[in-house]
Amino acid sequence: MLDGILQGLSTAASPVNLLMVFVGCFAGTFIGMLPGLGPISAIALMIPITYGFDPATGMILMAGVYYGAIFGGSTSAILINAPGVAGTVATSFDGYPLAKQGHAGKALAIAAYSSFSGGTIAAIFLLFAAPALASVSLSFQSADYFALMVLGLTAVSAFAGKGKFLVAVLMTLFGLMLSTIGTDQTAGLQRFTFGSLDLIDGISFLLLAMATFALSEALMVVLKPEKISQEAEEATKGKLGSMKVSREEVKDLAPVVGRSSVLGFFIGVLPGAGATIASFLAYGMERSFASAKEKLKFGKGSLRGLAAPETANNAACSGSFVPLLTLGIPGSGTTAVMLGALISYGVQPGPRLFVEQPAVFWSVIISMYIGNIILLVLNLPLIPYIARLLALPKQILTPLILFFSLIGVYLVSFNTFDIHIMVIVAILAIIFRLINFPLAPMLLGFILGGMMEDNLRRALAISDGELSFLWERPITASILGITVVVLLAPLIQNIIDVRRRKALKVNDGEG
Amino acid sequence: MTLSKEKAGALCFLVLAIAYGMEARHIPLFPGDELEPFTARTMPIALSWLTGIVSFLLLVLPQREETDDILSVFRGLNWGRTSILIGLMVFYGLTLSPLGFLLSTVLFLIGGIYALGERRWSVILLSSVPATVGFWFILDKLLGIYLAPGEIFAMLGAN
Repeated sequence: MLDGILQGLSTAASPVNLLMVFVGCFAGTFIGMLPGLGPISAIALMIPITYGFDPATGMILMAGVYYGAIFGGSTSAILINAPGVAGTVATSFDGYPLAKQGHAGKALAIAAYSSFSGGTIAAIFLLFAAPALASVSLSFQSADYFALMVLGLTAVSAFAGKGKFLVAVLMTLFGLMLSTIGTDQTAGLQRFTFGSLDLIDGISFLLLAMATFALSEALMVVLKPEKISQEAEEATKGKLGSMKVSREEVKDLAPVVGRSSVLGFFIGVLPGAGATIASFLAYGMERSFASAKEKLKFGKGSLRGLAAPETANNAACSGSFVPLLTLGIPGSGTTAVMLGALISYGVQPGPRLFVEQPAVFWSVIISMYIGNIILLVLNLPLIPYIARLLALPKQILTPLILFFSLIGVYLVSFNTFDIHIMVIVAILAIIFRLINFPLAPMLLGFILGGMMEDNLRRALAISDGELSFLWERPITASILGITVVVLLAPLIQNIIDVRRRKALKVNDGEG
Repeated sequence: MTLSKEKAGALCFLVLAIAYGMEARHIPLFPGDELEPFTARTMPIALSWLTGIVSFLLLVLPQREETDDILSVFRGLNWGRTSILIGLMVFYGLTLSPLGFLLSTVLFLIGGIYALGERRWSVILLSSVPATVGFWFILDKLLGIYLAPGEIFAMLGAN
C-alpha cells in the first residue's frame, strides 16, 4: 500500500498534475457557482478537453472540478440563496441568513474550513477503505458483478426521494434501453439502428451526458429565469464582512465536523446516495443533537447548521469514489460521468484497476487531498473576486455554454449528426425536468447497461442457461438479498405512511 | 379529465415500452440462436417487459400526493427564447460543415446573444468573435486539431 501511496504522490505532485488540480478546482468553482449548472455539467464540459490527456491527469482534473463545483455551489448558496448544486441546498438554510445578517465572509470561511475538514477526513478513510474493498472484490465473478449493478441501479432509484421510486426506476430502465442502441458488443448484430449508419456505434456517453445536463441545464435557465440577478449584483458589489472565525467557534464546530465527515463518507459510499442526501442527513442529525436553544437558531443563521451539510457533502464526494474505483460501479450521476470518462481513456475501473493501473488509482486519491488544500488556500482568499462572476450577464454566458457543449461532442466524432441528436436529447431532458423525472438514474442506467448485459450473458453461459447463478454463490445471493431489501424499503415506508395517515384521520374524526 | 404529470409520463413510457418491445422482436439472430440462453434480443425484450410493468404500476397506483396537471407544467415559461436557441443549435449543426467552424460559430453566438436580449452590437461582437477566434486558435494552432474550412469556400476556390 505504501508503494502505491508513494507512486500516487509522485504522479499527483508532478507539476502538470498539480496545475490540473488547480485548474480543475478553479474551473469547478466557477461553473458550480453559476446557478443551474452542477458538477455533472462541470465534469461533462471538461471531458472533451481531457481526451488527449494521460488517464491519471484527466481524472485528477475531473476530481478537482468535482470538489470545486461543490465549493462553488456553496458560495452561490450562501451569497444569493441560489445553490448551483443540489448538494449545497442544505448549506443555504443557514448560510444565506448569515449573509443577510452581514456575516457572508464568516459563512464562506466556515463553509471552506468545513469542506476542507470533511474532504480531508474522508480522503483518509478512502485511503484505507478503497484498497481493502478492491482486494475483496478481486474474487468477484460475472454473477456478482451483475448483482452489484442491479443493486446500484436499484439503490439510485430508492434514494430518489419520497414517492419518486417508480419514476426513478422508469428512468433507469430508459437509460438501459438507450444503451442497447447500436451494435451488440458480443454478437455484433445491429439493434435499434433503423438502418442509420450514424447509430451503428450507438449513442455516445459524452453526448448523452452533455445533452441531458450541460445543454438542458443551460436551456432551463432561459426557460425558467430566476429573479436573482439583483441579489447577485448586491452580493458582488457589497462587502462580505470579516472572514475570521473565533477560537470558541472552532471548538464548538469541531465535533460537528467530525460527526458529519463520518456520516458523509459512509453515505457517499452507498450506491445512489451521494452529496445531497449526506448534506440533508447531516443537517438533520446536527439539529437533533443541538440543545433546545441552539435548535431555535437553525434556519436563521446557525453556524452548526452551516458546517454540518458543508462537511458532509464534501466527505460524500470522496466516499462516492470508493465504489467507482474499486468495483467500477458509480454510485452517483457525477461518478457515472467519471466512469464514462475513464472508459473513454481506455481504463477499465474495477478491482483490477488497483492492480493494473496503480498510478491512476492512487493519484486520484492523493489529488483529492491536494484539491482540498488548493480550495482552502487559493479559493478562499479569491472568493470576493470569484463572486463577481455571479454578475456575468446570462445572455452572453448561456450561448457560450451551449457552444462549448455542442463543440465538445462534435470534436470527438466530427459528425454533425451528433449535434442534432444532442438537440433531440436536450429537448427530452427539458421535458423530463419539467415533469420532475430524475435524469441521473437514466445516465447511470445508460453507462451500466452494456456492462450489465455482458455480465449477465457470461453468468448465464457459465451456468448453462440456468438462473441458479443468482443464488449459488453466497456473495451473489447476499448482494441480491440487499437489493430486495432496498427495493422493498420504499414500499414498506409507503405502507407505514398510509397507515399513519389513516390513523391520524381516525383520531381527527374521533376528536 | 386532467392527467397529472407523473401519470402522463408513465403513459408515454408505456407506449415506448410497447414500441421498443415490438422492435426488439425484429432484432436479427444467428442460426441456432434460438437454443442459446442469451441472444441479442434477450436484454431488450426483458427491458420492454420491465418498463411496461413499472409504467403500468405507476399509472394505476394511487399517487402519494397531488401533483400538477401535465399541461400546467408547460405554461408560463419562456418558450419563445428557448425555441430560438434550439433552432440556432439545429442551424449550427447544419452549417458547421458548409460554412466551417469560424463562420458558423460566430453566427451561432451572435444569434444566441441577440436572442437572449442583448442589443448592443459592440457587446455582441466583442463576446462572440474573440471567443470563437480564440477557441479556434487553441484547437487548430496549439492542439493541432484540424478544423476543415467550410465546404462553401472549397467550392468557391474550385471555381
